[in-house]
Amino acid sequence: MSGFLIKRLLQAIFVVLVVTLLVSYAVRLSGDPALMLSQGAGSVTEEDLQNIRIGLGLDRPFLVQYSDFLASALQGNLGLSFLGGTPVARLIGDALPATLALAFVSLLLSIVVSVPLGIKAAVNKGKGIDQFIRIISLVGLSFPNFWLAIMLVLLLSITFPLLPPSGWDGAISLVLPALTMAIILSATNVRLVRTAMLETLSAQYIMVARSKGLKERVVLYKHALRNCAIPLITYIGLQFGNLMGGLVVVEKVFNWPGLGTLAFDAIASRDYPVLQGTVTVLAVIIVAVNLLVDIAYGLVDPRIRNK
Amino acid sequence: MKLKTLLATTSLVLTCLVTPVTHAAGTLTVALHQDPGNWDPIATFLVAWGAVGSQVFDGLIMRTPDMKLVPGLATKWEFLDKNTRLRFTLRQNVNFHNGEPFDAEAVKFTFDRLLGEEGKKGPQQSNYNAIEKVVIVNATTVDFILKSPDPVLLTKLSGYGAMIVPPKYIKEKGSQFFGMNPVGTGPFKFTEYKPKISLSFERNSSYWGGVPKLDQLVYRFISEPATQAAELQSGRLDVANQVPLAMIEILKKDPKLTVASMDGPVALALRYNTQRGIMKDREVRKALTMAVDRETIIKVILLGHAKPIASFQGLLSFGNDPTLKPLPFNPALAKTMLQKAGVKPGTQIQLDFRGPDSNFREVAQAVAGYLQAVGITVSLKPYETNVLLNDIIPNGKTGEMWQNAWGGWTFDYDNTAYAMYYTKQRWNPFDDDAKLNALLHTQRNTWDQAVRKTTLQEISRYVADQALEMPLYSLNTTYGLNKRAQNLALPADGRFRFVDATVE
Repeated sequence: MSGFLIKRLLQAIFVVLVVTLLVSYAVRLSGDPALMLSQGAGSVTEEDLQNIRIGLGLDRPFLVQYSDFLASALQGNLGLSFLGGTPVARLIGDALPATLALAFVSLLLSIVVSVPLGIKAAVNKGKGIDQFIRIISLVGLSFPNFWLAIMLVLLLSITFPLLPPSGWDGAISLVLPALTMAIILSATNVRLVRTAMLETLSAQYIMVARSKGLKERVVLYKHALRNCAIPLITYIGLQFGNLMGGLVVVEKVFNWPGLGTLAFDAIASRDYPVLQGTVTVLAVIIVAVNLLVDIAYGLVDPRIRNK
Repeated sequence: MKLKTLLATTSLVLTCLVTPVTHAAGTLTVALHQDPGNWDPIATFLVAWGAVGSQVFDGLIMRTPDMKLVPGLATKWEFLDKNTRLRFTLRQNVNFHNGEPFDAEAVKFTFDRLLGEEGKKGPQQSNYNAIEKVVIVNATTVDFILKSPDPVLLTKLSGYGAMIVPPKYIKEKGSQFFGMNPVGTGPFKFTEYKPKISLSFERNSSYWGGVPKLDQLVYRFISEPATQAAELQSGRLDVANQVPLAMIEILKKDPKLTVASMDGPVALALRYNTQRGIMKDREVRKALTMAVDRETIIKVILLGHAKPIASFQGLLSFGNDPTLKPLPFNPALAKTMLQKAGVKPGTQIQLDFRGPDSNFREVAQAVAGYLQAVGITVSLKPYETNVLLNDIIPNGKTGEMWQNAWGGWTFDYDNTAYAMYYTKQRWNPFDDDAKLNALLHTQRNTWDQAVRKTTLQEISRYVADQALEMPLYSLNTTYGLNKRAQNLALPADGRFRFVDATVE
């Protein structure tokens, strides 16, 4: 197990390095922050722009800039934002908890909804309730996340002013964005649970469990669910990457003070350090989650643990 | 039954969780589309900074929403020594928010900083290069020694980089700290800054220009215009500085809300690539302009929130000539002119525009439709904004026409015309016209505003005659407002100053 982990860890570091290199390079191809910073200026000359570039350190060769970034990132220093010079680490430090809270609550909400529904559908395969759950999940799958977000705002903040439409005003602000993400996630999760459950339910040990006279609930939740946990965990782990991607959009619509909004605005203003920092942190998180998924296999399935 | 219980419980819990949406008395909440990240006047040149700067800081001169220059921290000013010396008499008994006195020393410090090494790193310095140095005459008098004429200087002294900063505070705390914790002489005192989230102020009870009526002022950073509109609708916002055009009518129908729409600084034009194909011919360029019904575009696509223009400037701009009328919409004449110029029907041209600008995409499609009607096929080429601005335009790689949006807070055609038409300027990749250069040079080197106005108007007529662009419209500045906010004195350039504002 430890050899396997070391190998995975090295792979993870490699992935993070490649991601940061690509992002740092690509963002520099796409526009000049000096021009974005002098947007309102009346008479900006080439010389002014050059002065700003020198001030930001953009006159140095790319590899120098990149290695500087890496070297200080390793010491926990992600540089200063081009917009105003706030330390990027502080911006990310402020934004990360908001994103993690949103991701965690969305995921949790989606699991709480989709596991029972998926099981219900599987147990009643082909019956009315199964059809109904499948149709609902198909509808959920068809929503683009930003559209769903706007519709929820329209319904729950404007038509019925129950929830704040954006920003962070305490836990209540979490409801709308988390609901949006959870609906999107549940749509796929329900189908996944249903399929995994159907496969498991046809196994012989389920028949044995039932013939022992165990209660149906015990059969489903203790015997069946545990056995279909492996594909579920894998999928939910992989989903985390998608979740982060989806969050960028949803955060933006809800003006959620998280990494997504930070990254989005950084792209708009060509704030290289913030973008590099955000993507690096996101990459580390996604890679770490995948690593944890690998470890979780071992915990859930003794066959892997003992290999 | 179970489901019903669940629903009932959920709604009960939700109702309990929701605190009633109310505002503290006397607190005005304003949405801003961007967080400039630094409140130091010399650090940025973003419109979002300007929306806050005049609440915290004062200039020697101030500009009112109706474009008049009035005394600010200076009570009067006069030009001496054949306009090489600009003397300011300073207001007395004014203190910065930290108690530090405002005096000649503060003025000198402000401009030494702006014109020195520190200012060099930012985008503000070049606008004040006409000033050689600031000399203290006595505690209440300073002289600006000028090395070259700058007819827009007085306007520029009323905002952005020319805002007066506290010397002792900055020397003690450093610029970085100052940028995060601004101190000025303005009507509102800084209280808290949460990067990317909000910025808060309380009233400056000893403000020299009268005590502000608001207790507190809060800016919230919301970059998505639709989200600003939603916040406004839910009653959590008093002023939205960007609302989507399509939402304006909806907001107006809400009894609690209103929308202010006024002449703004931003003008749009389709600039012509005068070195490419059929565009080399002035008559062709004129014909293309006449083939497009700009009035209808304004009415239908921009829902009336724009004005027709004859030159590349807004109606408030110094140098705008109200007697110069836009070329009329006349597709029949345009067709004849194209025929005469030997342009074959079906000729293809390309229009480059900012892809993410969804309003303009519709405008571009309409333009393509109108030109199709006179036999010109337009291929629309959307670019990512930065790519268009940083590469395609300055390097002269555009198609036959390209979108240009322009407007400066100074509301002076000099700012636009020089950048657009002077040879080798960033925004002039194609033309080299000695006559235009001479005119532009003349108006920039005189202090005589009447002469300058005539020259600027001559420039606009000359450019129209050469048909260097298709002037489209000048965009209105629009704000979404909650009616409980009163006396906002809304400015066309977004530089708020809420001294008399109240919230019911």
